[in-house]
Amino acid sequence: MPSRNFSQNYFELFDLPVQFAVDTAVLGRRYRQLQQELHPDRYAAAAAHEQRMAVQYSAFVNEAYATLRTPLKRALYLLELSGMTQQEVSRQQLDGGFLIEQMELREKLETLHDLVDPDTVLDHLVTEISGDIGTHQAEFAAAFEQSELQAAASACVKMQYLEKLLLEAEQIESELMER
Amino acid sequence: MALMQIAEPGQSPVPHQEKRAVGIDLGTTNSLVATVRGGRADVLPDADGSVMLPSVVNYSDTSGALVGARALAMASEHPEDTLVSVKRFMGRGRADAQRDAQRSHYRLGDSESGMVSFVTSSGDVSPVQASAEILAVLRERARETLGGDIDGAVITVPAYFDEAQRQATKDAATLAGLRVLRLLNEPTAAAVAYGLDAGEEGVIAVYDLGGGTFDISILRLHRGVFEVLATGGDTALGGDDFDAAIVAWVVDELNLASLRPGQHRGLQAAARHAKERLSGAESAVLPVDKIVPGAGDLTLTREGFEALIQPLVKRTLRACRRCLRDAQVEEVDDVVMVGGSTRVPLVREVVADFFQREPLTDIDPDKVVAIGAAIQADILAGNRPEGDLLLLDVIPLSLGLETMGGLVEKIVPRNTTIPVARAQEFTTFKDGQTALALHIVQGERELAADSRSLARFELRGIPPMVAGAARIKVVFEVDADGLLHVSAREETTGAQSSVTVKPSFGLSDEQITDMLQSSFSHAQEDKQARQLAEQRLDAQQLLEGLDAALADDAAELLSQAECEALHQKMRELREAAAGDDVEQIRRLTESLGRASEAFAARRMDKSIKQALAGVSLEELDKEISE
Repeated sequence: MPSRNFSQNYFELFDLPVQFAVDTAVLGRRYRQLQQELHPDRYAAAAAHEQRMAVQYSAFVNEAYATLRTPLKRALYLLELSGMTQQEVSRQQLDGGFLIEQMELREKLETLHDLVDPDTVLDHLVTEISGDIGTHQAEFAAAFEQSELQAAASACVKMQYLEKLLLEAEQIESELMER
Repeated sequence: MALMQIAEPGQSPVPHQEKRAVGIDLGTTNSLVATVRGGRADVLPDADGSVMLPSVVNYSDTSGALVGARALAMASEHPEDTLVSVKRFMGRGRADAQRDAQRSHYRLGDSESGMVSFVTSSGDVSPVQASAEILAVLRERARETLGGDIDGAVITVPAYFDEAQRQATKDAATLAGLRVLRLLNEPTAAAVAYGLDAGEEGVIAVYDLGGGTFDISILRLHRGVFEVLATGGDTALGGDDFDAAIVAWVVDELNLASLRPGQHRGLQAAARHAKERLSGAESAVLPVDKIVPGAGDLTLTREGFEALIQPLVKRTLRACRRCLRDAQVEEVDDVVMVGGSTRVPLVREVVADFFQREPLTDIDPDKVVAIGAAIQADILAGNRPEGDLLLLDVIPLSLGLETMGGLVEKIVPRNTTIPVARAQEFTTFKDGQTALALHIVQGERELAADSRSLARFELRGIPPMVAGAARIKVVFEVDADGLLHVSAREETTGAQSSVTVKPSFGLSDEQITDMLQSSFSHAQEDKQARQLAEQRLDAQQLLEGLDAALADDAAELLSQAECEALHQKMRELREAAAGDDVEQIRRLTESLGRASEAFAARRMDKSIKQALAGVSLEELDKEISE
């Protein structure tokens, strides 16, 4: 689609400063305002080519919103804008302490099935992981502000690890649901 | 010479006509149809004044199916010919449906496609066909009430329906001669009905427990925008399971070893009545002796009933918890109750306790979904002024690809807002590999074998390279209807391939055409005439849209030359559309559409700027008022 807006970066699209801290209320308001104008349902009675274009614009706005709304995606996107490739990010070395914590958390998740009341323990674990993610988000924000890209990338990888763990917790939850 | 039509700038030459659009709640137990008239949405009653059509189809009489209350009356006498709760079987494979079928005493037919069909006195019947019978009755009801053919329908489905179940629902509509404007998720429809009525703002949870399905959705409502934040549920949990729990209890208490199908149906009906009475009364008598002579009657207390259904109700809360987390919200401002099963006091108590909110029940939980669907149908048919209401929906289940070792790589995770386009790069794993098989799956499981298979296709013509050197970009696109299109492209050579997903348990287009021809005479209209009419309509829509757009923005966004070029093409198309050369109209429509794309893009850019300017003003207002 040969349009100016597709080459805009996501922050520009929503008229927000390029930084990790995002006012989610403002982001949400601007997102809804854009969709009010661009969503294909607004073109329900329009010609086919206009509908197609609306689908593309709307999908672009959705992608931008999803990226900026989620802290991990936002962090990765900021690194990408700073010229760091995904491979470079994932090559970051992690300290041993963090990896040991990871293993312990994973172990707790794996033994969940044998417990009498897995729900409560699962909720507790999810809270713990979410708290850790918050800590690394703060690390990222500080490092990125100081243009310490390596440190920022390292915080980002830790967030990635923990998010993955959170996904696994959800997987276990759906297995519990089907039981 | 043809008379020239002269229209005011910005006005369409054809007077705007209200389209007859309806919303249909195709429920497990009951189905309803609603429409918007004079700005008000309401459900349409049949000739006897009842709005609920029991979702029951009886095939005892080989000359034609009975639908609704009359079919329900045949259930005990002809259990195998009377299909109830067919929604449970929509889009499901034979093996998958076996357990439910046994419980309902249906005989399943053998079909090569692996699709479910029931053996009845009138031959094999698929769930899609039975649903089409129900939809056709509702379509007829709407046609008679509104005084003309229905232009389009919004049909609701459980939010948790997968692609196959959605496609089966669409097939049923096509078979019933209905044009589907959109499949709308039931909880979203309910939120629309509530949100518009009460002018709600904030985060609401919709707890929808119907006859056979449970759905939970969390939405954010803001100035007419309904943003679905997350959705979840269970496609096989509902009020029917409450009935089944009571029947199992009766069988156990009275040691009823072998029951005839008719007796089983009788017990189910008695259980349902007892359940309904227990919403108000403290105890209810089950007249078992009338159904199984000599067995004696049983009394069920509310306490006893609640103990029976407690595990089922608890199962819904787990889904609620996950949905809240997916939505990334801590608490909700309101809880809306939908579905007949939310009349059960225990359900209301448990839900109020979980969300810490007294649930809203102002709108009849049986009608709320159909009313919301009617409102959305009115909008999609173009009957409403713009800026009224917008739905931003999500995909309910993750979409992904099978990768090495049978694992699933999720490309579009569940609860992603649609429309969406996502790309991911893959590579070859063998030296010299020239083709790549892509297997598209749906669901949350890690193994492809445990997921719902949606489609397979191949990318060929990859030049032989060492393993890992090829760069294959796979793009998943989901449009606003939730339909998936997948394409794959090898980046170095440009070899590409794509597929639009048709689930394996749906009907093929040929099957639908065959069925249409055998069951509906209007499908045999002259194909040529229909093509011409459709092509003219396309042309007319494009011309009307451009007229309006040019009137608004031509001076600002187009040069004189650009403007004249467009007008020239529009004149050509107008002339062609007055004739009957289908091919020429199609060609000129295409050509004008392409020529106006740059203009359309500029208009969209302008909209974006205006939208954001609007936001800034809104923010300014806020600051001033604070």
